[in-house]
Amino acid sequence: MNKTIDLSLLDGVLQEYAPVKGSLITILQHTQDIYGYLPKEAIELIAEKTGIATSEIMGVGTFYTQFRFAPVGKYLIMLCQGTACHVNSSELILQTIKDELGIEDGQTTEDGLFSLKCVACLGCCSLSPVMMINEDTYGSLTPDKTKKILKELREAAQ
Amino acid sequence: MRIVIGQGSCGIAAGAEKVRKALMNTNITSDISITGCIGMCYLEPIVDIYDDNGGLTRLVKVSETDADAIASYVNTGNKSFVEKLVVTPEDSEFLSKQTRIALRNCGVIDPENIDAYTDADGYTALKKALTEMTPEEVIEVIKVSGLAGRGGAGFPTWFKWNAARQSQGDEKYLICNADEGDPGAFMDRAVIESDPHNLIEGMLIGAYAIGAKHAVVYVRAEYPLAIKRLKNAIRQATEQGIIGENIFGTDFSCDFTIKAGAGAFVCGEETALIESLEGHRGMPRLKPPFPAQSGFWRKPSNINNVETFANVAWIINNGGEAFAAMGTEGSKGTKVFAVTGKVKRSGLVEIPMGKTLRDVIFDIGGGMKTDKPFKAVQMGGPSGGCIPSDLIDTVIDYKALGATGAIMGSGGMVVMDESTCMVGMAKFFLDFTAKESCGKCIHCRIGTKRMLEMLERITNGQGKEGDIELLEELCYSIKDGALCGLGQTAPNPVLTTIKYFRDEYEAHIHDKKCPAGECSALIEYKINADKCKGCTLCARNCPVGAIAGTVKNPHVIDTEKCIKCGKCYTVCKFGAVVKE
Amino acid sequence: MIQLTINGKAVQAPEGSTILEAARSANIDIPTLCYDKAVEVYGACGLCVVEAEGIPKLLRSCSAKVSEGMVINTESERVVQSRKIAMELLMSAHDGDCVAPCQLNCPAGTDCQGYVGLIANGEYEAALKLIKNKIPLPASIGRVCPHPCEKACRRKNVDEPINIAQLKAFAADIDLKGSSYLPDVMVRTGKKVAVIGGGPAGLTAAYYLNIMGHSVTVYDMMDKMGGMLRYGIPQYRLPKEVLDKEIALIESAGVQFVNNVKLGRDFTIESLKTENDAVIVAVGAWQSSSMRTPGEDLQGVYGGIDFLRAVIQQNPPAIGEKVAVCGGGNTAMDACRTAVRLGAKEVYVIYRRTRNEMPADKLEIDEAEEEGVIYKFLTNPLSFNGENGKVKSITLQIMELGEPDASGRRRPVPVEGKTEEIAVDSVILAIGQKLVQGDVSELSLNGRGNIEADADFFTTSIDGVFAIGDATNRGASIAIEAIGEAGRCAKAVDAFLKGESFETRVPYISKRDESTIDYSDRKKESRITPKVLPADVRNKSFDEVSLGFTEEEAQKEAQRCLECGCREYYKCKLLHAAQRYDIHPERFAGEMPQKYTRDDNAFIERNPAKCILCGLCVRSCREVMDLHAIGLMGRGFKSEISPAFSLPLDKTNCNNCGLCVQLCPTGALTEKSTLQKQVPLNEEITEQKIEIDGKSASVLVARCNGKILRVIPNDALSRSMKLSRDELIALLK
Repeated sequence: MNKTIDLSLLDGVLQEYAPVKGSLITILQHTQDIYGYLPKEAIELIAEKTGIATSEIMGVGTFYTQFRFAPVGKYLIMLCQGTACHVNSSELILQTIKDELGIEDGQTTEDGLFSLKCVACLGCCSLSPVMMINEDTYGSLTPDKTKKILKELREAAQ
Repeated sequence: MRIVIGQGSCGIAAGAEKVRKALMNTNITSDISITGCIGMCYLEPIVDIYDDNGGLTRLVKVSETDADAIASYVNTGNKSFVEKLVVTPEDSEFLSKQTRIALRNCGVIDPENIDAYTDADGYTALKKALTEMTPEEVIEVIKVSGLAGRGGAGFPTWFKWNAARQSQGDEKYLICNADEGDPGAFMDRAVIESDPHNLIEGMLIGAYAIGAKHAVVYVRAEYPLAIKRLKNAIRQATEQGIIGENIFGTDFSCDFTIKAGAGAFVCGEETALIESLEGHRGMPRLKPPFPAQSGFWRKPSNINNVETFANVAWIINNGGEAFAAMGTEGSKGTKVFAVTGKVKRSGLVEIPMGKTLRDVIFDIGGGMKTDKPFKAVQMGGPSGGCIPSDLIDTVIDYKALGATGAIMGSGGMVVMDESTCMVGMAKFFLDFTAKESCGKCIHCRIGTKRMLEMLERITNGQGKEGDIELLEELCYSIKDGALCGLGQTAPNPVLTTIKYFRDEYEAHIHDKKCPAGECSALIEYKINADKCKGCTLCARNCPVGAIAGTVKNPHVIDTEKCIKCGKCYTVCKFGAVVKE
Repeated sequence: MIQLTINGKAVQAPEGSTILEAARSANIDIPTLCYDKAVEVYGACGLCVVEAEGIPKLLRSCSAKVSEGMVINTESERVVQSRKIAMELLMSAHDGDCVAPCQLNCPAGTDCQGYVGLIANGEYEAALKLIKNKIPLPASIGRVCPHPCEKACRRKNVDEPINIAQLKAFAADIDLKGSSYLPDVMVRTGKKVAVIGGGPAGLTAAYYLNIMGHSVTVYDMMDKMGGMLRYGIPQYRLPKEVLDKEIALIESAGVQFVNNVKLGRDFTIESLKTENDAVIVAVGAWQSSSMRTPGEDLQGVYGGIDFLRAVIQQNPPAIGEKVAVCGGGNTAMDACRTAVRLGAKEVYVIYRRTRNEMPADKLEIDEAEEEGVIYKFLTNPLSFNGENGKVKSITLQIMELGEPDASGRRRPVPVEGKTEEIAVDSVILAIGQKLVQGDVSELSLNGRGNIEADADFFTTSIDGVFAIGDATNRGASIAIEAIGEAGRCAKAVDAFLKGESFETRVPYISKRDESTIDYSDRKKESRITPKVLPADVRNKSFDEVSLGFTEEEAQKEAQRCLECGCREYYKCKLLHAAQRYDIHPERFAGEMPQKYTRDDNAFIERNPAKCILCGLCVRSCREVMDLHAIGLMGRGFKSEISPAFSLPLDKTNCNNCGLCVQLCPTGALTEKSTLQKQVPLNEEITEQKIEIDGKSASVLVARCNGKILRVIPNDALSRSMKLSRDELIALLK
């Protein structure tokens, strides 16, 4: 897992945003897009290029739920925790995913295929309960439908 | 004929893009375009077919397999191909009973095309304001309209604009708060995805009014499509000189930026939003100074919500009086609600202020989708409260809603039936606010956590005498002592559920029962022998082998072994498994 | 200037100033935790809220500006409620012990951790002074105290408790051998106090009232002072020479002694009252309790304390060769071991439960056995049988243990029909002692037959008469209990004499939940007990059994202390704020946000479990020092302050300027002192100038007993120099 991080991938981002004040969050978002998470080495480089202390960067990074500090699986399941989903039994869907994958919120399966993250409202309340897997949204979930989706993704990955 | 596919996030999530691709693969020669959110989210994907006379055939719950049938209809004009997909007259009422101002273009025009917007009189209000009105006159029109902040607080928009206008400073900022964080609300997302130019136009008018040269939109990161369409719209408007230097040949110049949030509900609070815009942790600042004096980069700044801006162009074009003609004494114009939960027809509803909750939930929303009776509606999300069924005739008006203990809020309206535990609901919101608390002030950081722990104990059957009173004491103190709106309003869901559903709290605490049958620690699953057909499905699904019985004979649950996972309850096809 | 009213007082403040500044300039105290002039206002703690007339919301006075005609209330009911809840919430998430459990469990509140720590550092004189703040007879008490402190000592969770009592005796013995410490005495008040009874209670009350400036005379019926310490405890445990010296010091400090005068015979409470401004009754419990067993009146049956007193007065009764001692407490141990030393051949201890239930100190039980004492567990006298009026034998009922009783000990129940008879020459009944009621007939007694005294004020049925010790309320207890009461009583009497009110509310302190403490990183080190005389030597002599700690042993034993109590106790702003109102954080008990994790370097120790997230450290490191060594991480309840990537402080650019420690309102950031073992001490802090590179710089110097404990940079120059403490101390000279 301990791959070396290619920091040159950050050059463009840093060139564009490092001189613009107030851009830390934007830089971190781009960094996460590149690496899938925020590697320590990248944070140290950002600190060097922006002059923002690592303690500040980590303060910002740990404040917002979007940021991660460890790699995620091939499929990132974002299960909506909105009110409408709650009222429409999203708890059952969470339990189903946990049972199916054997992971808790914030964890990744051993095969590195799935990561589970409970997220704030995705705004698709009419389709509740809802989850997003990578870019795709899945609505009106039932436990069976959820199992089917996971199964299909697992098969697609093999 | 012309085909328009609803491609808001809801539509896409429901499969609208697959439908579009399938339609593109048919032999249809007619123009296929997209629009944003039509608002009838419960019927997505929706395909609108306009005939050459402008007549509309609306097809709902369309799937990709329907593509050929639609093609046949479009190519032949024979409606029988799509008869089963055509929207029912009842469902059509969902839209026809609404009055759409902020949403006027949503689901009508193509959000990715600026010409569609200008064809719908887009940017005429901006031109009017810049070329025919002084900033003071703009503010006056807004004052006459009675427009109030749609983000929740309902503060008069003209007053904020005026304060920012009066503020000294060569550099000012106009900021749009699109950090729609209320879990259960999606009005702002729909506006940006469906009519981004309307937002840009409203903001530019606002920027002109306060004297700002910079406009910034802070959009939450969970809305990638909204960000994409807004970026696209900004690019188009810039290309046409609507954003930039000397707009419409006047002295007015304004640039436009988008900043994506990174997941923090507290950033809906304006000073936290400013901190976040500056790249910091989204922790609220002390007020005073207010943003109008010292905001973004310590410069005078004005912040309004998306829906507020979405009304501005209409008001400038139609006059403040026209807007003020709708609504009540204290609440003017219309309000958009995201109606969801256990309601039959969920989606976006824009109605004039002064209608009742019943109008929205029953008349437009069609009532409950299950056979269980209406219990309460949650308004204003984690900052709001639950309004019980006997107050269903409450008028939609800032003051009237405030009097119930709930708030107008940003427009989230989550409908609940008798299967929803109100203590569980309070716990749900406290779990949310506790997780979203920025951690700066004591009352919110520790207070919301302690409230959550108390609610957890109560729903786990460990509640004790005095818990309700202790919760209330803590609630009032947090309202008084918290630093920002998030903390000050966090107790509302607890206070309103205690106010209207105290008996439910008492049942949890004293009788160790959950009347709604939702709190798993307090319920028991049993099998009704009369209804059980002995199909063995429950026994096969039970993860702990707690269900015994032979084929075609009634089964029995061993309550000692039962872990209350509810699997039997969900799998039983005969309703024989009951919760007590 | 702006005119406003704060708490009904007209106040002037410059335009633009905050309400907090205006109030403080008018000497109106508004509590704050996150505010400091050195950094920008932050508004987190919410303690500074005030109510302004006409403004519906509470205002945070640290940021709200004054305006003309404002009417402010800084202590309204609403303000107080808000602050109380804030403090209750804050303390519910503050995982720390203000005071070590040993100190809390000491009935006299002795700062055990303090003196143990000082002994570890070889600061014996300072240790002694600390002890004498609470105990005027430490060499004696150190020897005889059943040490409740050690029962509470957390070290028992690692291996065994610290030998606190013996360490006290060690420090006190050094003091007695050298130039003994005499306390500074306050200016004479002219008030007179009479104390009846010169035991530990009476002497203690007299000692502290004398220090407070009152003229105190102790009246005692015996020919020497000391009470039960002298007449109830054998020489081998507490040599009278030690007691004499300690009592002599009390006399040297100015207390008057009058011996051989007895209440009811030579004077009355009323007669003393007419000559004094206050009277304290501390007459003790001098009558042995009866077992109500047939034959108790036979010749050869003695009361435990009567027997011990007779031996001490060089007038031992003829106890013969076979002696039975009834009872399982320390008096029983004293009696049986004394009997051994008097030459008895067979000494039995008759106790109705087993060894495990014996209330006596374990060491005593073991040492007695080594000296030849025979235990007869699970036996209870049915009758003392005599011949010619003299006891000859005891009939014992055989017992067994049944269900636990209210005290948690298993109740002894007779085994039906099973008895045993043992032949004896004498019997000593050591089952308790009580007040001689006739002596105090002027006072109201309670249902137990003891003097009724107020639990907080120690007042009795007669105005101006106070009562303490074994004679009161629940009756006889251990000496340190009486000393604790006497110390508190001295304060009550002082307040009474001055006509002042007396705070009885026990101020809130933070205590950790013992069950959550992890000891796994602690190395085991056995408890050290001073050497004793060999059993076959000591059972023939009244020489002191314990040889006391050597200096090396004492230091090594004191080093074992886990340092439970907080070093910031004396200057903790958080605690100060918590004690301002009557708060009950236990109402909100729940999860603790942070675990104890130790991060320290040569100067600074960080403990996130105590952090209240006021942010002063982060803000000062950023705004004043521009170092950003630490930052705020995470959010909400789990927010924490730490260096990036949870690095230790030493791996950051921290230059040990100490500003964060100085501003930290509690013990989350502490600075180590020059002492090798860290001790919570009440430091005196003074500002001093030093010269750095030819320029004048300011430092704060923290001292205790004259010793420099810490030097804290106090301006930009001193903070920027990265000077070690040794270098700073060198610059002071």
